Amino acid sequence: MINKDIRSYSSMFPKEYTELRVQENRSNGVALLNGDVVSNGKSAASGVSARIFKDGHWGFASNPNISDDAVESVIRSSTDNVRFLNIRDTSRCGMMLPETFINFEMDFTSQKQKNSQKHWIDFLKALDNYIVNKHPKITSRTVVIRSLDMEKSLITATGSTSYSMTPRAHLMISLSADREGQPIELMEAHGGLGQLEDNFDNPETYFSHIDEQVEHLLNKVDGVYAEAGEKEVILDAELAGILAHEAIGHTTEADLVMGGSVAGDYMGQQVASSLVSLIDFANKVNDVTCPVPVYVDDEGTKSEDVTIIENGVLKNFMHNKDSARYFESTPTGNARAFSFSDEPLIRMRNTAIMPGESKLEEMIASIEDGYYLMKPGNGQADSTSEFMFAVNLGYEIKNGKLGKALMDTTISGVAFDMLKTVDMVSDDMTWVSSGMCGKKQPMPVGMGGPAIRCKVNIGGR
Amino acid sequence: MNPQDVVEYVISTLKKHGAEKVQCTVMDSEKKELNIDAGEMSLFRTTFNSSVGFTIYKDNCKGSISINKMDKDSIDAAIEDVIELANSSEPDEAYDIAEKQPPKSFSTGQTTADMDSMYDRLSEFSDYTKSTYPKVILEQAIIDFTYRKGIFANSNGVKFGLEKGMYNFSPMFTSKDGLNTSSFNYTGFSAKELNKSLKDYGSIDRLLKESQEQVITQQVPGKFKGQIIVTPDCLDDFVSTVMDFVTDIPLISGRSVYKDKLNESIADSRFTMHSNPRSDELESNYFITGDGYESQDCTLIKNGVLKTFLLGIYGANKTGLSRSVNDGGAHIVDSGDVAFHDLVKSMKQGVILSRFSGGNPSDNGDFSGVAKNSYYVENGEVKFPISETMVSGNICDMMNNIVDISKERIDYGDCIYPWVQFDGLTIS
Repeated sequence: MINKDIRSYSSMFPKEYTELRVQENRSNGVALLNGDVVSNGKSAASGVSARIFKDGHWGFASNPNISDDAVESVIRSSTDNVRFLNIRDTSRCGMMLPETFINFEMDFTSQKQKNSQKHWIDFLKALDNYIVNKHPKITSRTVVIRSLDMEKSLITATGSTSYSMTPRAHLMISLSADREGQPIELMEAHGGLGQLEDNFDNPETYFSHIDEQVEHLLNKVDGVYAEAGEKEVILDAELAGILAHEAIGHTTEADLVMGGSVAGDYMGQQVASSLVSLIDFANKVNDVTCPVPVYVDDEGTKSEDVTIIENGVLKNFMHNKDSARYFESTPTGNARAFSFSDEPLIRMRNTAIMPGESKLEEMIASIEDGYYLMKPGNGQADSTSEFMFAVNLGYEIKNGKLGKALMDTTISGVAFDMLKTVDMVSDDMTWVSSGMCGKKQPMPVGMGGPAIRCKVNIGGR
Repeated sequence: MNPQDVVEYVISTLKKHGAEKVQCTVMDSEKKELNIDAGEMSLFRTTFNSSVGFTIYKDNCKGSISINKMDKDSIDAAIEDVIELANSSEPDEAYDIAEKQPPKSFSTGQTTADMDSMYDRLSEFSDYTKSTYPKVILEQAIIDFTYRKGIFANSNGVKFGLEKGMYNFSPMFTSKDGLNTSSFNYTGFSAKELNKSLKDYGSIDRLLKESQEQVITQQVPGKFKGQIIVTPDCLDDFVSTVMDFVTDIPLISGRSVYKDKLNESIADSRFTMHSNPRSDELESNYFITGDGYESQDCTLIKNGVLKTFLLGIYGANKTGLSRSVNDGGAHIVDSGDVAFHDLVKSMKQGVILSRFSGGNPSDNGDFSGVAKNSYYVENGEVKFPISETMVSGNICDMMNNIVDISKERIDYGDCIYPWVQFDGLTIS
């Protein structure tokens, strides 16, 4: 546990705008490979950082010790750093940041009794034994449980203070089966916001999920390669979520807009079908807490929802204080740092396409020759909004009915073109949050959405 | 406590608590970093950190822990935690630590950053980019100097000292011309000293020039089976994937497509790749493997034949195969004897693949992804930069379908790669 109240350190602040953050990240993980414990470890990294803004430059410094001396040291060092830049580059002299003020505490620490590491190893063993006994066609299995707690205290020169403890915990099951001597794999992730004790109780809860995963995997073993080219597809919720995050979300982070993202040319324009609305939620949707809730960002700004696309029209970018200054806009509370030694960057929180009115079944039935794409692998996007996502589970759709499973494939397109082809949006919504977004630093994010019908390029043979 | 005291205290205390085998790494680090964001000098960052990591084997059960504190209370708490982890775990006789080796200290690079030189080089790079390539926007450019000093030791008497200071530079950029926008691109290098302009390292200047050309792109003319010339910037994606197939987890699980291929051909006979973490050819070296052996240079693939798996102690014991002499990486691919422009001249229809935005290849080697910052080639001529173009194939087949290898190579400081031309890819 770190100190929740660090207000006393504000007396050490220089006259320039200053942020002071104390943070600890704690993680725990166990991995079983074919029943053997291959990983069993914990880590903790904590420290204090200061960041100072003056005349268009930032000075930053961090120290792993959390003490009065360390605080004094990081403030002095970050002051020296900003002065180093101010002396050499006077072109930005006089720039001022918008001021924000908020005091907030949010603690998601589990109220349940903490389980021992043996409990979690036994939990994984129960899952592994179930797979071995129930599914003899599985040739390799990896079962992993892991958690990350991010605990932060912040004070800024404009009087903002915040404390947060935001945990996440996930279970990952990766299974392989044989196809003519070659391995075919399918991975499934479970969990989200919460500590291990909140998210995982009885291993039997996951037996039916394993059965379903094995069924899809064995379908994949008998699967076919997708036919390369542009196809009509249903992107299921997980793929719509990664599309929202990678292909649109990143292009509308204001720092990437300043860096040349094509979204900078499209503000106020129709960039998607009128069925598409896309929001980066700060912490709640319809009073339900999102997988990565952010209430105050690491610059001391209240985190607000950002409506990026409304009924197909590009409406807003996500901002930190510096980009809000540049665009003469308002900070949106998107500035987040991964570890105590990282500076805050503009990061998404929980980015989702909003549900529509169609039923998934009628969407599948509406396609004569296409694909139902269900599970994403990794994904990347571009300043042009051109995206690529791996697809690890999908099925053919022939005459409105699901056909054979697909071998692993990739889809691509230009998001601001592809979203104009969306003509059906399902009325449900699913969140995923097991991955890390990468942008200089890793960062937990939530991605969500309904299923959408659209046209994309698909790789194949 | 100082690093030396921490190592001795951790090992002796854990042995007293019944751990048969202990390995411990203690490291102090300092990073100085300058950032350009959206073309402007924006941030000067200084970070200090410590890391104390130890792994124990107690009754053949494993526990690992990592903290960033060196005070006795924090170390004692971590010792208590790691014993609980090991006591909770399942025994496996394949766990082990490195056997005793002569004590040794390794040192490379500088001990302190030359901040004036870092600023001047970065500022010069920014000015050069703005004046020479006015369409290019430096989305972000980061130069850092990272200094690490520490100790690796284990309960078998291994004791290595390490001191390393390196400069690293990584620019990321996009070009804009009116409403036309290029794909972003990025590259980088590692070096012991900054003794020349940043633009002159690795492939930086060439990629900036190409970025300007890529604001207007076209799609390839339909789907075809063709060739690709993988640039040195992109080659690491492919060769690292091949080597990932021969690491602990794929081999232990039996999923590796190369599990029966040691000392057998897996690539064209003109392809040779070394892993040389100790070579003077590379500015950035590593000296100790993760398991605690002094690393050695080796040849991974010689004339197309797979010469080693990349197994650690656990993987070697689990599979009954030999441990590798390093942890991989530090790749040096031998050059061929054909000039790059002759590779292009020989290509009937294909793509120069400069960046690959692809899904992680399947266990069977199938891959597909989008060609970024790349060019269409027809009848030996570079025709135009491309977009919305997908490349699909199988990496195992691809390694056997090498057409030629360039005689030119690019040195990134931590690896050296040529251009490699492959046949039989689906381009659409």
